[in-house]
Amino acid sequence: MLGEFEYLLITAAAGLGDAAYGAAIREEIAATTGRKCSIGALYTTIERLEMKGLLKTWMGDATPQRGGRAKRMVRVTAKGVLAARDFYEAVTRVSRGASWATNRTSLKNRIALTNRSETAV
Amino acid sequence: MTGVGWTLVEAVARLLEREEREAVLGDLAEAGESPAQGFLAVSGLALRRHVLLWKSWRPWLAAFGLALPCSFLLMGVSLSVSQSYQQIVEPAILKATGVALGPGLMLFLCNVLLLVGWSWTGGFVVGSVSRRTIWVSGALTVLPCMFCLARFHLESMSRLCLLLFLLPAIWGVRRGLQIARIKMSSALVLAVGVTVLTMPAWGTSGPWIPNWALSWPAWYLVLTARKNGREAQRA
Repeated sequence: MLGEFEYLLITAAAGLGDAAYGAAIREEIAATTGRKCSIGALYTTIERLEMKGLLKTWMGDATPQRGGRAKRMVRVTAKGVLAARDFYEAVTRVSRGASWATNRTSLKNRIALTNRSETAV
Repeated sequence: MTGVGWTLVEAVARLLEREEREAVLGDLAEAGESPAQGFLAVSGLALRRHVLLWKSWRPWLAAFGLALPCSFLLMGVSLSVSQSYQQIVEPAILKATGVALGPGLMLFLCNVLLLVGWSWTGGFVVGSVSRRTIWVSGALTVLPCMFCLARFHLESMSRLCLLLFLLPAIWGVRRGLQIARIKMSSALVLAVGVTVLTMPAWGTSGPWIPNWALSWPAWYLVLTARKNGREAQRA
């Protein structure tokens, strides 16, 4: 099964589609998780996922804003999509019934109901 | 990306593979990171890459199974060859009777060929087995040399005679880095040649363990050439 960071990376790359490359994925992960993603963690994970056949990478175009340097483009493979789906389903399954997984209103209602029934008894 | 800071970052980035270096430096420029952040990012990635290399058995074999022990043994062989030269060849040259040297010359020539064969094959295996950690293997070859050079005191001999093995070893490392693989026929010639040259020591209670410790890289080349040949046939 995927690790947490591997899942984040695959999800970010899949969301970015054709515009998925190192800097964009890094920005996406930082924006969605609020945590800074180091270049070391990013590129070693990309390589590991590529070796597992979950990602495909190739060198893209160079742009002036990158100082004329090429991008390492990333695409999620079909196997990568399956692995991410498995991870997501496992997390969803294991989270069922966890207080943080249900929405706050229903949680409040349930607490109120429990309190009421306890008072009635 | 100009200035001393970025020059330093680019220098550290040389530890990375060319394509990765390109992508990482581009990402840093695009993200507008400072030279200090860039330095930390690049050195962190380079460190991770080098640590990951050591998860494989190859760098361990090259550095601690070959470079370190063989440099000690080959210094011993270099010394032995130098002493043989002094005892057998030099007096003959001085007397200008170079032709009638007897069995001593044969033994000397065998030792010279063995020294070259062992050093070259050892160097080739170090270069081909783990090219990205070659600097560690190099350091583990140099350290014993420095250690022995500091303790070598023989008035009749130069300290440099300990390092006779270095030239063929460096040649072997270069070839190993360049071609990585060797043809089956060449590997067999090397392995059989090296083994045959050790035969004079078989009959005596000579140093057979060091001999085999230095000969195995030649047979390792035969095994890898055989494996590569089979893979090529399958493909």
